[in-house]
Amino acid sequence: MFLSAAVRSAVSRTARQVRGLHRSAARSGAGGVFVHRDTPNNNPDTPFEFTEENKKRIQTILSMYPEGHKQAATIPVLDLAQRQHGWLPIAAMNKVAEVLGVAPMRVYEVATFYTMFQRQPVGKYFIQVCTTTPCMLCNSDSVLEAIQNKLGIKVGESTADNMFTLIEVECLGACVNAPMVQINDNYYEDLTPKDIEDIIDELKAGRVPPPGPRSGRFSCEPAGGLTSLTGPPTGPGFGVRPDL
Amino acid sequence: MLRLPSVGRALAGAAKGGLAPANPARVPARAASNMVEVFVDGKPVEVEPGTTVLQACEKAGIQIPRFCYHERLSVAGNCRMCLVEIEKAPKPVAACAMPVMKGWNILTDSEKTRKAREGVMEFLLANHPLDCPICDQGGECDLQDQSMQFGSDRSRFTEGKRAVEDKNIGPLIKTIMTRCIQCTRCVRFASEIAGVEDLGTTGRGNDLQIGTYVEKMFMSELSGNVIDVCPVGALTSKPYAFTARPWETRKTESIDVLDAVGSNIVVSTRAGEVMRVIPRLHEDINEEWISDKTRFAYDGLKRQRLTQPMAKDASGQLSPVTWEETLTRVAGALQGVQGSEVAAVAGGMVDAEALVSLKDLLNRLNSENLCTEEVFPMSGAGADLRSNYLLNTRIAGIEESDLLLLVGTNPRYEAPLFNARIRKSWLHNELRVAVVGHQVDLTYTYDHLGEETSVLKELADGTHPFCQVLAAAKRPVVVVGSGVLQREDGAAILSSVSTVAQNARTSSGVEDGWKVLNVLHRVASQVAALDLGYKAGVDTIRKNPPKVLFLLGADAGCITRADLPKDCLVVYQGHHGDVGAPMADIVLPGAAYTEKSGTYVNTEGRSQHTMVAVSPPGLAREDWKIIRAVSELAGVTLPYDTLDEVRARLAEVSPNLVRYDDVEEANYFKQANELAATVNQNLITTAPLVPPQVLAKDFYMTDSISRASQTMAKCVKALTEGAAAVDEPSVC
Amino acid sequence: MAAIANLVRRVFGRRGGGHGGIRSFVYPMFKEVEVKTGSLVGVDKYGNKYYENKKRYFFGRHRWVVYTGEMNGKNTLWDVDASMVPPDWHRWLHSITDHPPTTHPLESQKFLAEVHQFNVSATPQQYVPYPTTRKKIHEWVPPKAGAQ
Repeated sequence: MFLSAAVRSAVSRTARQVRGLHRSAARSGAGGVFVHRDTPNNNPDTPFEFTEENKKRIQTILSMYPEGHKQAATIPVLDLAQRQHGWLPIAAMNKVAEVLGVAPMRVYEVATFYTMFQRQPVGKYFIQVCTTTPCMLCNSDSVLEAIQNKLGIKVGESTADNMFTLIEVECLGACVNAPMVQINDNYYEDLTPKDIEDIIDELKAGRVPPPGPRSGRFSCEPAGGLTSLTGPPTGPGFGVRPDL
Repeated sequence: MLRLPSVGRALAGAAKGGLAPANPARVPARAASNMVEVFVDGKPVEVEPGTTVLQACEKAGIQIPRFCYHERLSVAGNCRMCLVEIEKAPKPVAACAMPVMKGWNILTDSEKTRKAREGVMEFLLANHPLDCPICDQGGECDLQDQSMQFGSDRSRFTEGKRAVEDKNIGPLIKTIMTRCIQCTRCVRFASEIAGVEDLGTTGRGNDLQIGTYVEKMFMSELSGNVIDVCPVGALTSKPYAFTARPWETRKTESIDVLDAVGSNIVVSTRAGEVMRVIPRLHEDINEEWISDKTRFAYDGLKRQRLTQPMAKDASGQLSPVTWEETLTRVAGALQGVQGSEVAAVAGGMVDAEALVSLKDLLNRLNSENLCTEEVFPMSGAGADLRSNYLLNTRIAGIEESDLLLLVGTNPRYEAPLFNARIRKSWLHNELRVAVVGHQVDLTYTYDHLGEETSVLKELADGTHPFCQVLAAAKRPVVVVGSGVLQREDGAAILSSVSTVAQNARTSSGVEDGWKVLNVLHRVASQVAALDLGYKAGVDTIRKNPPKVLFLLGADAGCITRADLPKDCLVVYQGHHGDVGAPMADIVLPGAAYTEKSGTYVNTEGRSQHTMVAVSPPGLAREDWKIIRAVSELAGVTLPYDTLDEVRARLAEVSPNLVRYDDVEEANYFKQANELAATVNQNLITTAPLVPPQVLAKDFYMTDSISRASQTMAKCVKALTEGAAAVDEPSVC
Repeated sequence: MAAIANLVRRVFGRRGGGHGGIRSFVYPMFKEVEVKTGSLVGVDKYGNKYYENKKRYFFGRHRWVVYTGEMNGKNTLWDVDASMVPPDWHRWLHSITDHPPTTHPLESQKFLAEVHQFNVSATPQQYVPYPTTRKKIHEWVPPKAGAQ
């Protein structure tokens, strides 16, 4: 019993740090295991209450769904709870279940399914580095290394002051602006190691740098300037047989 | 959330239709012209529109392999085992979730179908451990059977297998979650049938697992059924773990007597020992579920048993004696007193054969003092009209009703299968439930009218606002629990309930055949005892203390030594040393329900009989035979020597007792109500109507068998101290 | 004729190896339904007498014992048992050896009982095997009188 428990805890400890071959982002990042274990800062007795402002928001969300279908509001209300608390303790999930009038298990199912719900504490700035193939080809590894050196943490860890948490994620859908990093709700794109260090410095100073590409691009237009649509549009009859 | 309000229901009509296609809980039969013709392997079959491919194949006599599909649960469609080819369709379809269309030709044994099954099986086995030799499901495992039938004969899987942590969900269910194939049958059972939404799926993809997420006991009185529902060995029985294999046990089809529902069960025995109890299909009683007490209290049959006759010696100590001496002493005592000085009390688990033998014996001795421990008001109509003490609507009848009024009962713990039926009707048929009595968790929502007796009085007077609802109902049902009839004012309560039922009947214009008044009993023998003419309640014995008292399995402790004169000889006949045996002067060891062929009548008046699964332990004998032997020695020989002759006598007294699995129509509600009106209704005290079983821990230990059961004791401990308190180190 | 003479000799003749006396004739007749003649080889300490007659009887019937009337405090006049023969005489009686313990006494061994014990089978002292497996049925033990 003891031996197996020791082995199991050792395995789970390393599993959180080493990224396994088949592990999804949820597993390697803040997600951890898909069962709840009581800890001092995450147990059913920890008080959690929505703020007055959020209560109004919940009413608005609930009013969008017909009577008897309040369960449909699980994701927006969970998101609200996560935005209020920074992450989702078990008490918050229970509160959401209470608000929606569903069994807590139905809320746990949703919260464990989606990787954007953090069931373990995360820092104030939650840095998600994309390392999927397009970003990797654009040298996302140097960005990741820069963050690790700058903050002194490894993937899956938080800084001691609980300001930053770093995880590696799969494609966030901004491949055209690779490499990219998501910090909380903002996408920072076209990064170099220097850029990301600047961003972290700004965040440390308490300012949120503007999101978007860092290469001077406005959005996702071609990096080397336009290669098509460079001239004015041609008039009618362009390329049509002259005898027609 | 499963039950949508009427507005939402209309919107979700289509989705609802798919929720329980096999059991749309009694929808009127559609016109035959609507039938759709489909072909199964070229063979034509006519089905209703909306039937799934799987059901159409079933109708054609072909079974499609499946894991997640269960005909009493909603369709999940996530195991993909039921893939079949449909002619001209581009891909195989999941038969369990696909409604048939006109003219489809379903190919259940084509090359494509077989390949699809083999492929699905390969994926299912990718993460399934190869531990069949140490798995308790071995031999009755769907995955094992279907992989033999449909799977490939070799594996191409060389990677590592997934492992999942086991969960501790209580002392009844053992979990080996690595074996789980995520069919979610247990999750659907818990939320739809049991009404306890504790189980769910957490995580996603390869990491998906079934569990409770938080450390928690799966607390339901029907929890054991997930063992049967689980197609693999992920959820198995904890008490049964590693004790027997299904192919080495002998199965005896019997019925359960631990509550008044009379669930049909199969008793598995090996070498004269009961190894486990599993449910048997009976659509009108228990469908295919049984309660945890029925399933797990069997270890009580092996403890605290009376195995040899005992009598008190000179020092007042009960010590073993021979049958000859015991029977002679009992017969001598019966002969030595006047008939009026002999009395008998029958307990809650006595079969009708023993009841009629005892009654005949005492009647031959000129005694009429035959009582049951369970009280039923004898004033008013009493037990004279059968309709007065039965669950007239029947258990399955709840599915046809639209309004249910529960008075002073907690059906969840008094009759879990009846409660499951109410929940089913509440879920699928818009059944409205109201409760007069203590507010308890019934797994469905209800209107709580209050727990005061005054509420009942107002309902009877017609002054309560709920009377309008009752009057508007098309098929109302009023159920009173036998628990509250035990009170001193039980007669007045029954009379009020009878008036409520009669008013509802007259005011709401229900059709003639519909029964409104129902009594929900708690013990298995009560209806048969009342049918045979036993007096309910031991008051007469308290008033006229007898010289010889015969306790036939009376273990509820209604009569104590303090109620009896010092020189009274107490004879206890039963199967457990519980409450009755210690106060007895002579103990006659009888047989428990697995050891005799006994007739029991359930609360709806349906007579059924148990079968002999094992022989009675030691010197114990079948109950009616003991009484027959006593009668011979007492010089009043009973005129039956075989079980058939006893049953012929039963038929003489009350023919319905031997018409097995048949429910005799009971009637005369009006007359019963008129008689009930003669009872002084002002007797009602102000004490609230609290059923005796309120909390979950009151459910497990209610009779001599379950009180002797260690498993049931563990359940109570787990409920009071948490599941970790009874956690045993598991072997694997 | 000769047989009758033989019988008479066996009954009355002491010299010829007969048992001598009417009593010694009648008792064996009742006990063994046969009267044998032979030479007394020895008597053990309990009083059992051992005879041998190789000439008259076939091998296997040539040695016999006449049991004592009282052994180890038990009346064995009629209730005789083969296990009354102590081990040293058992060897001789069963032709394991030809040397009776009178001439070749057994070496004393620590496992040999001082006083020979009968076989206790079918008596209350008999050994009863008991199961070491789990009990299938646990019976109720009535509470001690006056305990409650």
